[in-house]
Amino acid sequence: MKSHEYEVNRSDLVRLAARVAVPMILVAALMRLGAMTGLWPSPWPALDLERTIITHQAYASREPNDSDLVLTGDSSCLMDVSAIKLRQQLGGRYRPLNLGTFMYVGFNGYASILARYNDVNPGRVRVVVLLVHPEMLRGIEPVSSYLLLLSDLYAGTDPSGPSSVHGQLCGLLGLNIFESRFLGRFPLPLPGQYGRFYGFNLDLYNYMERTRGSAVDPHQFVPAPGQGNAEYRLSPTLESVCLAFRSAIPAGAKLLVGLTPVPESFAAPNYPGKARQILHQCGQWLQADCLTNLPPTLPDALFASTTHLNQQGCETYTAILAECLEPHLQAK
Amino acid sequence: MLFNSTVFLQFFAAFLLLYFLCRNSLVQRNVLIVAASWLFYGWWDVRFLGLLIFSGCFDFLVGLFLDKVEAPRRRRLILAASIVVNLSLLGFFKYFNFFVDSMAVLLDALHLPFHRSTLAIVLPAGISFYTFQSLGYVIDVYRRQLPPTRSPLQYLAFVSFFPQLIAGPIHRGQDLLPQFARPLTITGASLVEGVWFVIFGLFKKVVIADNLAPLVEMAFDGPAISGPVTVAATVAFGIQIYGDFSGYSDVARGLGRFLGFDVARNFALPYFATSLREFWRRWHITLSRWLRDYLYISLGGNRLGRRRASVNVLITMLLGGLWHGAAWNFVLWGAWHGLGLMVNRWWQERDARAALMTRSFAAPLTLLFVFYGWLLFRAGSFERVCVLTRSLAIWDSPPWLPHYLLCLLIFATPLLCLEFWQHKTEDELVILHQPAWLSGIVQGLMLLGIILFWEKRAVPFIYFQF
Repeated sequence: MKSHEYEVNRSDLVRLAARVAVPMILVAALMRLGAMTGLWPSPWPALDLERTIITHQAYASREPNDSDLVLTGDSSCLMDVSAIKLRQQLGGRYRPLNLGTFMYVGFNGYASILARYNDVNPGRVRVVVLLVHPEMLRGIEPVSSYLLLLSDLYAGTDPSGPSSVHGQLCGLLGLNIFESRFLGRFPLPLPGQYGRFYGFNLDLYNYMERTRGSAVDPHQFVPAPGQGNAEYRLSPTLESVCLAFRSAIPAGAKLLVGLTPVPESFAAPNYPGKARQILHQCGQWLQADCLTNLPPTLPDALFASTTHLNQQGCETYTAILAECLEPHLQAK
Repeated sequence: MLFNSTVFLQFFAAFLLLYFLCRNSLVQRNVLIVAASWLFYGWWDVRFLGLLIFSGCFDFLVGLFLDKVEAPRRRRLILAASIVVNLSLLGFFKYFNFFVDSMAVLLDALHLPFHRSTLAIVLPAGISFYTFQSLGYVIDVYRRQLPPTRSPLQYLAFVSFFPQLIAGPIHRGQDLLPQFARPLTITGASLVEGVWFVIFGLFKKVVIADNLAPLVEMAFDGPAISGPVTVAATVAFGIQIYGDFSGYSDVARGLGRFLGFDVARNFALPYFATSLREFWRRWHITLSRWLRDYLYISLGGNRLGRRRASVNVLITMLLGGLWHGAAWNFVLWGAWHGLGLMVNRWWQERDARAALMTRSFAAPLTLLFVFYGWLLFRAGSFERVCVLTRSLAIWDSPPWLPHYLLCLLIFATPLLCLEFWQHKTEDELVILHQPAWLSGIVQGLMLLGIILFWEKRAVPFIYFQF
């Protein structure tokens, strides 16, 4: 018995496809035209937590600013130090700006943010404080899409999508333009605890505006097995990357480097000694002064995770950092 | 395999090609449907494919036995065997841990010792749906409302038909089974409708429901924040679950149209209902019908007086709630709707004029009732129901509430506008009855939205867990 038959002719199929495809092509053309003529607003791809942070720090670094002490580094720098509190602790003598991002942006990314800040604010920076978590010094490879996003933001171009078929299709239909110029300006909820603390991407952005680039990790650390590897080490591959980062430090500015703390219960017994070794080696590669007085560990109650402090920890650590900075700043 | 995944698109493209090649043989077509459906199901977890095949084979044989046996007592026994086997499978996979946990809580409260032994049971996807579909067939054969099929292939295709396998609609044998036994015609019009259903369904799922999911999680998955957030999140969940589930059903209908099948409508603009009874005639229509035909009527329906009818409604809704999930909040949700239906029935029967007077209030009142039901449904546990309900009295709001409301508005408005249009015109396919340019613009924009949000958030269909 016959199964099924098609009472469809070719013109039906063409009409069906054209009916849907034509508006899509028109939208694609419109998106491109608007972007080319400058009709659309500038790219603002604050589409999730990470991209909101990168967008904020990229924009903060390319605007005229009075900050002369720049904090840079991974997410532990971003979350562990309050730029506003640090200014208070330093008696208002320095105006800190936190340009920390996260470890997957890598030293090259930090260098590019710093270089942009220096280009826009020549001669302004007196001190650069690089703070990284020992986790980062294992030689974790940066994620290329974050670096690409940074360079696109500086160039004012729309981020190109991933190389997948879907990414290509989005590029072809102009959806990447819509995403970066319009969707990022919509309120988009942040995940989990971040959502409950900040709310939306725009709220996080505004928070970072108010706090001069600092953020807060709203979690609470609960010690448990399997939360990561506490055997920290310094990857030899970082030597060349550190040299490249050094070249981004403005002439006349002092570079200080420090390691952010790990929870007491998480750290290995020999960690304080190990941390000193890592810091010294890193300081040599960076030709930087080391903040050796920073505590390698802090009580668990001050942490949000194995790599970030919580809000209370951030306040405590900022005060400690200010104390540690004092002798270096006086020497300057 | 999810409808909103790239792997499904590849699967369906390959299937369509093979389907075209099988157009001259009914047997080949059904073999292809069964094989593809098993691949579709096994893709998720091949271990549970055996369960689907067993369920199909068992009820096929039960159908044949019921046809052969004449003695009412023996027929009843055969039916009972089928019900016991089907519900035991469902009960074991879905309710074992629920009952063990509930027993432990009860005995603990009575200070009685209890050796708790819960198992790490994974719920097979779609088990509630295909079990009910298969069971419905057996009951229809028992009631002699449907002759049993003699073709195991057709029966297996009926039970495992992939467009509706995981989350319905739950078809009655009379509606779907004959379609596997006769030649089908695929016309240009059915393709146009199929495209519309797939685009609209995916739009509801990928653009609306999946973007509302984080809003819902913000309020429901953590300590209660405040009354305005709980209210907004409950509205968001009401739209999310509707977009998610009706989106799945629309895609199923659309895929069916591509293949020449008529897959049942499962949702008929439920939020425009003006009474709770009407809501249940519009929401998850095929489950409502199943519960009415095989449970409510079996309990005596309204043949045994008003009081008994009310009790039957309550029992039906309680079990309907439990069908959704093994948790007390689902039982509570079922009870909420059961009681609501009892009051609704009493009110409508008591005074027709009073019912007429309250008509202008009926739609918002129904919505209010249904949406509080969604809070019970989404809460996750009885304790959370209490916490969230208490939060309704806290009227301070977090600073991000305006963004929350704006986000809700952005993602809910397109769906509300489209459905309002369908409601006003009483035409489900109103978009297709517009000039080609307008219909094209609407569908093209929806497709762009789907591509934009495609696989951005891997939110599984809510009803997969049922």
